[in-house]
Amino acid sequence: MGAPEGKSARIKRGEGNVNFKMETRSVESKPPIIELTGEVDVYTAPQLKQQMIVLLEGGARALIVDLTKVEYLDSTALGVLIGGLKRLRERDGNVVLVCPSPRIRRVFEITGLDKIFDIYETQADATESMGKETG
Amino acid sequence: MAESECSACVELRFPCRPEYVGVARLAILGVASRMRFSYDEVEDVRLAVGEACTTSVEWAERNGKAESEILLRSEIGQDKLVVDIFDQAGERGDDGRAGGPDQESENLGALLITLLVDEVTVVPKDGGTHVRMVKYARQR
Repeated sequence: MGAPEGKSARIKRGEGNVNFKMETRSVESKPPIIELTGEVDVYTAPQLKQQMIVLLEGGARALIVDLTKVEYLDSTALGVLIGGLKRLRERDGNVVLVCPSPRIRRVFEITGLDKIFDIYETQADATESMGKETG
Repeated sequence: MAESECSACVELRFPCRPEYVGVARLAILGVASRMRFSYDEVEDVRLAVGEACTTSVEWAERNGKAESEILLRSEIGQDKLVVDIFDQAGERGDDGRAGGPDQESENLGALLITLLVDEVTVVPKDGGTHVRMVKYARQR
């Protein structure tokens, strides 16, 4: 019988998955950018969650998640993004998304989450918007 | 099951674990692509099946049934695709479990399914759950 929590196992989910890649770029004085590639689902979303936790615990108040290269995104990924957004908004921060793909954007639209998240076409637009928010 | 209306059936049996949900999505993508669905409709089916399997996987984990299997069965009809998903993931609790860490994405998953397919039914069956989803091919 598996442990109900199983956090360590969950965090390791998706590691080595050729259909998912995550890179984080941090430039001084700018919000960290998480770039996702491939499929963000029940298997791989725990990696995103873990990375967001690390950044939040590291003091990040704003975060850009770039979904430009994401081919598939499900409710598990949405749940992780919403969780991050909630935690950051509690400290007057924000999670901003980059999502030029109509297919992925549609998932946000049909769930109404496009009204909750600030979604931009490019990283430059997202970064600029955050500069305005924090400045 | 409406066998008489089924011109072709495709079945896939796979472990009820997160790493296999993508396999189910690939399979249903291939099936839906053979029908008179638009690109968006094929995507709808893929996402709906992914969500249904994800819910099964999450219940299996919660109920200690991670060693169980999911049976995905798709019936390709003239004007509709019927997808049956049978799991053995144990009983699904009712609203009493609200507030769990996965509750939000689970609710979103259920919402997505109802928005993406034309009909959906969820019934307990043999120590698990049977989800039936129907997507109609629009006349064009």
